[in-house]
Amino acid sequence: MSGNYRYYDVRRVIGEITQIDVDNGRVEQAGSSFFDKAVVRVLSEKGWGVLSISGDQANFEKLPQELLNEAHAAAHITNIHIPIQETTSHIHPIPAMKENPIDVSLDEKVSILLDIDKSTISPHIVSHRVNYIEKDENVIFFDSLGHSYSYHLCRCGFSVLAVASRGGMVQMGYERDHTISGLNIRHRQDLAREAAERARKLLDAKPAKGGIMQAVLDPELAGVFAHEAVGHASEGDLVKEGNSILKGKINEQIGSPLLTIVDDPSLPQFGFCPVDDEGSETKRTEIIKDGILQSYLHSKETLASVGYGTAGHCRGMAGVEPIVRMSNTFIEKGDANYDEIISECKSGILLKGSRGGQVDPGRGMFQFNAEYGYLIENGECTTMVRDVSLSGEILQTLHMITLIGNDLELHPGYCGKSGQTVPVTDGSPHLLLEHAVVGGCDID
Amino acid sequence: MQSLEGAILIDTIIDDILRSAEHVADETEVLAVKSESIGAELKKDKIAIGSKSKSSGIVIRVIKGGKIGVSCTDNLNTWKKCLDAACASATFADPLPWRGLPQPETIDQTPLAYDRRVQTDPTLVTNLIERLKTGSDAYPADITSGSASVMISEHALANTHDLLYTTIGSQIHVSLEMIASQSTGYESDTSWNLDRIEPEKTGEETAFFAHRGEGGKEIKTGTYDVILSPIAISQLLEAAVVPALSGKNVHTGRSLFAGKIGTAVAHEKISLVDEPLDPRGIANCTWDGEGMPVRTNTFIDEGILRSFAYDLRTAYRYGENPTASAVRNGQSGAPSIGTHNLILKGPDMDIFDEKSVFVHDLIGAHTANPMSGDFSVELSSPFFVNDGEFQEPIRAGMISGNIFDILHKIQGCSKKTRTLGSTIVPWVRLSDIAIIGRG
Repeated sequence: MSGNYRYYDVRRVIGEITQIDVDNGRVEQAGSSFFDKAVVRVLSEKGWGVLSISGDQANFEKLPQELLNEAHAAAHITNIHIPIQETTSHIHPIPAMKENPIDVSLDEKVSILLDIDKSTISPHIVSHRVNYIEKDENVIFFDSLGHSYSYHLCRCGFSVLAVASRGGMVQMGYERDHTISGLNIRHRQDLAREAAERARKLLDAKPAKGGIMQAVLDPELAGVFAHEAVGHASEGDLVKEGNSILKGKINEQIGSPLLTIVDDPSLPQFGFCPVDDEGSETKRTEIIKDGILQSYLHSKETLASVGYGTAGHCRGMAGVEPIVRMSNTFIEKGDANYDEIISECKSGILLKGSRGGQVDPGRGMFQFNAEYGYLIENGECTTMVRDVSLSGEILQTLHMITLIGNDLELHPGYCGKSGQTVPVTDGSPHLLLEHAVVGGCDID
Repeated sequence: MQSLEGAILIDTIIDDILRSAEHVADETEVLAVKSESIGAELKKDKIAIGSKSKSSGIVIRVIKGGKIGVSCTDNLNTWKKCLDAACASATFADPLPWRGLPQPETIDQTPLAYDRRVQTDPTLVTNLIERLKTGSDAYPADITSGSASVMISEHALANTHDLLYTTIGSQIHVSLEMIASQSTGYESDTSWNLDRIEPEKTGEETAFFAHRGEGGKEIKTGTYDVILSPIAISQLLEAAVVPALSGKNVHTGRSLFAGKIGTAVAHEKISLVDEPLDPRGIANCTWDGEGMPVRTNTFIDEGILRSFAYDLRTAYRYGENPTASAVRNGQSGAPSIGTHNLILKGPDMDIFDEKSVFVHDLIGAHTANPMSGDFSVELSSPFFVNDGEFQEPIRAGMISGNIFDILHKIQGCSKKTRTLGSTIVPWVRLSDIAIIGRG
């Protein structure tokens, strides 16, 4: 090898993606594609060299020296010494699947999905679509420290979209479920009916009025809140770069004493990582405990330079270098029940479901959108509203949580950062927020 | 023409696939892609990562009895498995009245987005990084991260009818993120041409937004005249208007534009046109993702909805004419409906002259309702502007409304435009837009 390297690792992912698209009862696509990608990282005296190649070029019996040399050569333009922290390397067992999707024929999957699609058919539903995706991956990893592992993991899931129309008004209902527990499409017509019913009900929903008010977040949306408002800002790479509002706030009370937020990649949920993508053991990290910032999420690099927290949070898409990511992020349950939360809100809005969100972690601003909501009047849910969102400043909003429910739920999804998308789970019980900035299409 | 290593191998594989498929499919299409790139990533003001990437892949589409099957692989040696998967896929698809893959036409195959000076040369990316940093010195703010990359890619599309089109393209990309206190700035630039990439400007504008955003003042809830930057308006267009122009969404009940051809859907001076060969485009090509010669498609002409976008599959399914609107950007590599250079045209105006709220970027534009167009999202880098000048920064606020209504509220557009992916858009001035403040 030319020059000196301090560390290298190699990750190869070989896999198959099966996608089925049933659009208005027609099978538009049903088939499989294949990928085989590898990424070689070499840490030189000054910076990382990263080489992304087709996996068939990375012979794992005897890694070609020229690939290491090529990755090392890519680091010639770097100009900063990067310390990395040695970490424990350990792989958690892969949970058994109830029914391995690979064992079920494409024919049968198509037939099940056609049945799900049919369940959306009802008055005012003008469009319906069911999408299935199954990603079956074999991951192989080794590094210059002698760690190596390989594992097989299959993620699968489906989504149902129903569109209702009446008198020029168009609304949609959307349901999805993704898992690592095996095929999850049998007997799921209920989700299709829910999507259709929601789309229909939204035709009569009123546009939400924006303003500052009390807001109750359902578990799905509160999970997105934990992810957007806290999770991203606690990522060690952003903290290291000076692009997080949470930099320098370890051991500070940054939120309500009721609030504990955790990221746990070892949890066998959709964001499960048996080991992270640079070989570190994955474990539960309490980001916030009782309102006090405890930890950041780390890679080997960010742990060495920032401290406060644990590695094991470094993830990458196939063929791309891993970066600090969340996995299964959730707010721990409190002791309030749902009725108490709605009653305590008195007057405000209940926000339900999620259309996603975004954060500017340096500025400390976040935004996310609910699928729908209900006005809360005199401590009771009343009128349904549509297109309602919430935005806020992280450091203010975390103090505004006044009640946390006892009904924790986790919801699977995907998270994008730096052009990479990874599977995650977000979760929470119901939350009550005071002085929330709610956005709607109407204002007073 | 420069050719990437392995291009001959791809030619051979294309021939092998088409020959093998002769007996199992009515028609076959192969798209082969090969690319090389190098990049540098800034962490704070130092280059922390140098990267190199080499990739290749093939997408095979077969048609048998009007049923379409597709598969892709990034390991060229596994093309037989990929062809088998495409054929298996076709057995499940619903048949449609297929009218055939395109026949070869005499089209100019001279690359339109290729600068032969662009090489995967490390000194090129370090030079781009230095120019970014030089530009960023214009205002006091700290770099948090940034990047520069160059890529060369080669595409070959072939089908059963002896159609074989090839092209080579270059792409240069820079991006920068900066912070001053709690005010952030983000900018990027992409071009195929070394003379058109402006890292100094990208650096300067990033630093400007970070620095000038400090000490923002509150905005009161109300309605305002608003200037949306090209970034903000393109995000809103892509969230709801572009999907509504897709022929597939129109025919499957997922477009608010369905049944509105010939009616007013925008201000009478607003047009929305896809001009694939507009010289401002960053990846122009004379053929689309299925080998159809590209053409200008006028979707909205002076406020009136005129047409929708179709790929071959959707046009054949619904008895429409294809519009050469196929693009390749999905996970399966299959063609889907998109736009090449979607241009927003409106009345020229000195849009910064009058008092208004300027919005550089939006946080959460993708959360807009893609069916109804309703949105309420957080402002990013907002300022009060007057007399052509940026005045005070605004601390925070949400902008809300309906994206389809915004098409009616455009009062004027700047002469200057920006190319952002597949959109070419000006700065636009809107009237009567709701902003929810915290003051």
